[in-house]
Amino acid sequence: MAKAKGRLLASLAVEKGVDYKKVVEKRKQKESRREKRKAGIAVDEKPQPAKKQKKEQKPAESEESEDSEDYEDVEDGEEDSEDEEDDYDMAELLDREAVESDEEEDEDDEDERIDLSKFEHDESSSDSEVEMEEKIERPKKGKQSDTPQLKSALKKTKKADLQESDSDEEEEDEEEEDIDMEDIDDELDDEEREDLVPYVRTTINNHTALLAALNRIGMPTGPGVPFATHQSVISSKPTTESIPDIQDDLQRELAFYAQALEAAQIGRSALLKEGVPFTRPNDYFAEMVKSDGQMEKVKAKLVEEATNKKAAAEARKQRDLKKFGKQVQVAKEQERAKAKRETLEKIKTLKKKRAEGSASALGATEADDLFDVAVDNEIKAHDKRTASAGKKRPGAPSGAPNAKRQKKDAKYGFGGKKRHAKSGDAVSSGDLSGFSVKRMKSGGKGGAKPRLGKSRRNAGGGKR
Amino acid sequence: MAAVYKSLSKGSGSDLPKERATKNKQRVLILSSRGVTYRHRHLLNDLASMMPHCKKDAKFDAKSKLYQLCELADLYNCNNVLFFEARKGKDLYVWLSKVPNGPTVKFHLQNLHTMEELHFTGNCLKGSRPLLSFDATFETEPHLKLIKELFLHTFGVPQGARKSKPFIDHVMGFTVADGKIWIRNYQINETEKTGKEGDDADKSKPKHKGPKGDTEINLVEIGPRFVLTPIIIQEGSFGGPIIYENRQFVSPNQVRSELRRTKASRHNARAEKQVERLAKKGDLGLRTSGPRKATDELDTRKVFA
Repeated sequence: MAKAKGRLLASLAVEKGVDYKKVVEKRKQKESRREKRKAGIAVDEKPQPAKKQKKEQKPAESEESEDSEDYEDVEDGEEDSEDEEDDYDMAELLDREAVESDEEEDEDDEDERIDLSKFEHDESSSDSEVEMEEKIERPKKGKQSDTPQLKSALKKTKKADLQESDSDEEEEDEEEEDIDMEDIDDELDDEEREDLVPYVRTTINNHTALLAALNRIGMPTGPGVPFATHQSVISSKPTTESIPDIQDDLQRELAFYAQALEAAQIGRSALLKEGVPFTRPNDYFAEMVKSDGQMEKVKAKLVEEATNKKAAAEARKQRDLKKFGKQVQVAKEQERAKAKRETLEKIKTLKKKRAEGSASALGATEADDLFDVAVDNEIKAHDKRTASAGKKRPGAPSGAPNAKRQKKDAKYGFGGKKRHAKSGDAVSSGDLSGFSVKRMKSGGKGGAKPRLGKSRRNAGGGKR
Repeated sequence: MAAVYKSLSKGSGSDLPKERATKNKQRVLILSSRGVTYRHRHLLNDLASMMPHCKKDAKFDAKSKLYQLCELADLYNCNNVLFFEARKGKDLYVWLSKVPNGPTVKFHLQNLHTMEELHFTGNCLKGSRPLLSFDATFETEPHLKLIKELFLHTFGVPQGARKSKPFIDHVMGFTVADGKIWIRNYQINETEKTGKEGDDADKSKPKHKGPKGDTEINLVEIGPRFVLTPIIIQEGSFGGPIIYENRQFVSPNQVRSELRRTKASRHNARAEKQVERLAKKGDLGLRTSGPRKATDELDTRKVFA
C-alpha cells in the first residue's frame, strides 16, 4: 500500500515538475528546526519557510500558465485588482487543481501553511522590538509593472509560434508599447534600421507607485499624533531660498543652521508641552557620542589655533614697530640737525651785530652788556651740545680741544673706568640681535672645516 | 483547508497596520560592503553611535546579490537596512531600504567628513533621540516624500528604544539643495537669556519647572557631514521595478572618464601637430630620412659642380 502510494506520488511529481525528494528533504529540515525551537534555541526562521513556499509555488504556476488558457484570462481580468487578492486566487486555483489530482499533496501543503502562520504568531508574541511587515508575495518581479510585462512575455511566446506561419503579422502588432530594440533589430532590414530613431529611455518617475509605497510604509506624523513618537519637524519655508549660491560655504551652512535651529525651537516647545523631558540635568552623566579623548583633542586643537593666531599677531606688531622705529629715528636726526643749523645761524648773526656794535660805539652800555650775556649763553649752550659726545677734561682750559684730540677721544674713549669695559655681562649675553640663523646654518663666514678622521688628523698634524 | 488558511493569513494581515499606527518600532541593520575606505568605515561608526536602534553587522561580501541583505535583516529582526556599498575603493553608494517589501533608495555619497576629522566642539549623549529637521522641499515631490519617510524610519530613534537616553540634545538636519540632500548634525545648547554667566544651580531650576521663554537655544555642530544624491528608487527591497530614476545624476565614473578624455584630447592635438610638422618638413625635403626634393637644372650645386 505504502509503496504504491509512493510510486503514485513520484509520478505526480514528475508530471507537476516538482522534485518530490527535495520537498521531503525540506520538510525534514523543517521538522528538525521545529524541534530546535521547542528545545528553546531561538532561531529566526521566518525567511526560509516563506521562501520555500514561494519556490514550491513557482514551478506549478509556470506550468499552469503554459498549459491552461483559462488561467491567463483570469489574470487578465483581475489585473487591476490588488496583488494580495491575486495571490490568494492563485493559491485557490492551485488548491483546486491539487484537490482534483491528489489529496495527499494538498494536505501536506495545508499543513505547511498553517505551521507558517503559527510561526508568525510566535514571533509577534516574542519580546523583539520590531514588528516585521508581512511579506507581500510577488510573482518573480515587482508589483506594479509585472502584470503587463508578464502579458507581453506571454504574447511574445505566442508570437514566436505565429512567426513560423506568417511573419507579416508581427509588423501589424504596433500597439505593443514595450518592444525591445533588439527584437525589432532582428526583424528589420538594414534600410529600415537607418530610419529608426534610437530608443531613448525616458525619465522614470512613477508618481503612483511612489505614493503607494509611501502609503504602505508611512508613519503617522500629523497633528493628531504625539510629537514624541516621530520628532520630525518640517521647515516653514524651503531652505534653498536662503542659499543664493550653493558653492558659498558660509551662506549654505548658515541656511542649514537656521533650518535646524527653527526645528530645535519648535521641537523643544512641542516636547515640553507633551511633558517629555528635554534638557539633560547637570547631574546626569552618560556615555557621549564623542569620547573624552576625542574632546580633549578638539580642545587641544582649539588652543593651538588660538596660540598660533596670537603669535602671528604679535609678530606682525613687532615687524610694524621695527619699521616705524626707523622712521622715528630718522626724523629725530633730521630735527637735531635742523636745530643745530638754526643755533649756528643765530650765533653768527649775533656775532656780526656785536662786532658792528663795538666798532660803532666803544663805550659799552648796559644794554650791550645784557646783550653780551645772551650771546655768551648761546655759545655756551652750543658748546655743551657739541661736547656731549666727547667728555670734557676737568680742569682743562675752557673751549673745545683740537679736532684731532676730539677724534681720538671718540675713537678710543676718554675718561671713566677703562677696565672691564669690553667684557660681557647679563645684558650683553642676553642680547641676540647680532645672531643670525642663516649665517649660523650656512656654517659661518669662512665655513668651519669639517673635522677629519683620526688617521688623517694625525697624519696632517705631524708628530707630536 | 484553503479557506482556513485564507482566513488566518487575512486576519494577521489586517491586524498589522493598526498596531503599527500606535507604536513606532524600527530597527536598522547597518553594514558595509567589502572595500570601504577607513573614512567610510568611520562614517558608518559615527552613524551607528547615534542610532541605538541599529544592529551593526560585519562587512557584506557580495555586491551583486544584494537581495540577500533582506534575509540577513530578517535574521537580525531588522526592518530597515542601511548599506554602504563601496566601489573602486573611492565611490560610496548608500542603500536605504525597508526590508520585507521595500522601497529601496540608492544614494551616491559625497563630501564626506567624519566626526573625528571635523574637530567640532559639539557633543551629545550616545543614544539620545534626535530631532529630525526636514527642509520644506521634501514635501513637494513624491520621491522626496518617500526619501523623507525612509530617513524618518532610519535615523529617527523610536520612542523607548532599548539603549536610547531619555533626553533630547541634538538635531539632525536634512536639506535639499542643488538636487542633493545635505545632512548635518547639531547639538542643542540651551543658555539663559538674562543671566548668561549665572551659576549652574540657578540655571537648572527654571528648566525643570517647564517651558519658559527666557532660555535661548543655540546650536553647535557635532558632525559628521555628508551629501547624498538620490539615484534610483526601487519598489521592492533590493529588487523590484525602478519607480524613480534621477536623470541629473552623473556617475563618478563618467566624470572621471570625461576628465581623462579632456586631458587625452590635449595630448592628441599636440601629437597630431607634431606629425603634421614632420610631414611638412618631409615635403620640403628638409628631413634626412624623407624623400629628397627633385634637383632643379639651375640648382647651385648643379651649376657649380
